[in-house]
Amino acid sequence: MATSTESKPQSADDALAARDPKLLIHIYEMMVLTRAVEDRMVAMYKSGDLLGSLYTGHWHEAISVGSAAALGDGDYMAPIHRDLGAHLCRGMEPWQVMASFMGKATSPTGGRDGTLHYGRLDLGIYNLPSHIPANFPVATGMAFAAKYRGEDRVCLAFCGDGSTSRADFHEALNMAGALTLPCIFVVENNQFAYSTPVSMQTASQDFAGKAAAYGFPGVKVDGTDAVAVYDAVEEAVTRARKGDGPTLIEAVTMRMHGHAEHDPADYVPREMFEEWRKKDPVELFERRLLDSGVLSDATAKETREKARQHAIDARRKALADPMPDGSTVEEGVYAD
Amino acid sequence: MPTKTDTDGVTYLEAIGQAMMSEMEADPDVFLIGEDVGQFGGAFKVTKGFLEKFGPRRVVDTPIAETGFTGLAAGAALVGLRPIVEYQFADFISCAFDPIINVLARHHYRTGDAMPVTMRAPFGARLRAGPTHSQSVESYFAHVPGLKIVMPGSPQDAAGLLISSIRDNNPVLYLENKYLYRRLRSDGPINLDPIPLGQAKVVREGRDVTLITYSAGVSQGVEVADELDKEGISVEVVDIRTLVPLDIDTIVTSVKKTARAVVLHEAARRLGFGSEIAAEVQEKCFWHLDQPVARITAKNTPVPTSPALEDATIPQPAEIAQTLREVARA
Repeated sequence: MATSTESKPQSADDALAARDPKLLIHIYEMMVLTRAVEDRMVAMYKSGDLLGSLYTGHWHEAISVGSAAALGDGDYMAPIHRDLGAHLCRGMEPWQVMASFMGKATSPTGGRDGTLHYGRLDLGIYNLPSHIPANFPVATGMAFAAKYRGEDRVCLAFCGDGSTSRADFHEALNMAGALTLPCIFVVENNQFAYSTPVSMQTASQDFAGKAAAYGFPGVKVDGTDAVAVYDAVEEAVTRARKGDGPTLIEAVTMRMHGHAEHDPADYVPREMFEEWRKKDPVELFERRLLDSGVLSDATAKETREKARQHAIDARRKALADPMPDGSTVEEGVYAD
Repeated sequence: MPTKTDTDGVTYLEAIGQAMMSEMEADPDVFLIGEDVGQFGGAFKVTKGFLEKFGPRRVVDTPIAETGFTGLAAGAALVGLRPIVEYQFADFISCAFDPIINVLARHHYRTGDAMPVTMRAPFGARLRAGPTHSQSVESYFAHVPGLKIVMPGSPQDAAGLLISSIRDNNPVLYLENKYLYRRLRSDGPINLDPIPLGQAKVVREGRDVTLITYSAGVSQGVEVADELDKEGISVEVVDIRTLVPLDIDTIVTSVKKTARAVVLHEAARRLGFGSEIAAEVQEKCFWHLDQPVARITAKNTPVPTSPALEDATIPQPAEIAQTLREVARA
């Protein structure tokens, strides 16, 4: 049972105090907001507010936020459905995400697409189709364009452990290596591809090791440790900016909900959930910030309350927003 | 502006190369990507000399990774570049089916973002290349909303339609009939003006029957029509040029004039694009028709290798002439 990782333990608390407190608080706030919005959306799923299922990223917050926080404003991202935190870091509004899961006219796709497909190119985020990791080859293209134009941009792409079995994964990584593209590939190893455990997906011992086959570094980190994720991605971003090519990062965590909310995940051994429950990335990070004096109890409480209120307001707005007009269905198949 | 070429006539292949060259000269965002397109000049040498002229930044040799470089093109297009993707053979485009359909074709409808990717692929039979090097792939893609499909039948159209494809803000599948590459030559110099997508062309006027076709069917159809003239049968040939968007008005105008319609293509019969044209024609011209719409197509077989077998499945001039005769005289 894969309940621990071989990666380094959570970085020592005394080191936190030496870091930029503004960055740490930013990561903390985004993780707290991500959790609050997703918890609210789980309630919305249960109450029937949403069209279909709901994909959440509980226990992925340190990966999505820690990674996105290591990017500059001009960088590109190609996240997946566990990465709400990455979207929020780029300025996505929680109500828009909710509107997407409701098929509202105000969602980023105007109801043309829905659920998890809410990426906004104006925020530098690719809106992926369901065929994950189709976003990986696309990410190589965004990185290619940056290199082509001599721009100081990189592209950060995410996928799950399940995606590593698909041809897109291989072709994208191989090509990014061959063309020396400024790409960072993050594999969020959450132990399950829908119901299939990692042990049934691959005979490899880990995913980071696959990088060796493509000729660039592979790094394995504790995906519940926001600082460890940030550091790994930051190093990979620096490497990409220098023109040294891609990095593969495996961030190990656990999918604490089902594949989506309809899925009770009864194929997961209960002890596995119990083990991982002790590793809540949001709580762990909060505790360390408190211990190192970066965060006060009062600020922590205030941050959580603000995030909760934000999610409540977002739901209110999304619920009130209009549905698209059916008579427009044929518009926009082609661009002018 | 009309551009003089070295010789009077330009081959279909040269026309494609000239159009790409001119767009790459005019727009620094246009680049070429595919297998062996650079140092080798492409499997059919369409891009010979491009690497020397534009360098490896804009002429990108890739690993064998159709899914990968199609997705790469999509990502590059999303942030403002205009990739021209070359598939070595249209047969291998099936390896990129997923990104073409799920990444490229749907993207604008899903998001409103432009997706200006031109996908060039040599297709078609008559080179004795066998079942997995001779396919006509247009019908696979014609069913997919969001793609445009261009299939030129002359050097001039090959150039003008390719220029429009590259400038288009949508994914365009531009299918080159590889049998025509060096066999079809323009009468005189060609110009490099864009030809709008979605405009069919009456390439030969006639009274008795309309032959609706595209790609290699155009020159083939005109040759047969010239022969039938000697028998007193006057064939009007309509080159649809782009399957999507389809200029149905030009087809309808011609069929209403002749009252008889025949569709010709070298793709297999079942759900070939002729089925769509026949359906449109009967919906829009039913009371004008003197005869049912006929289809001349390949048989519902893979394209076999051996000449005797391949010729038995791909439409031949005698079959085209006979069908036109029957429909015109009945």
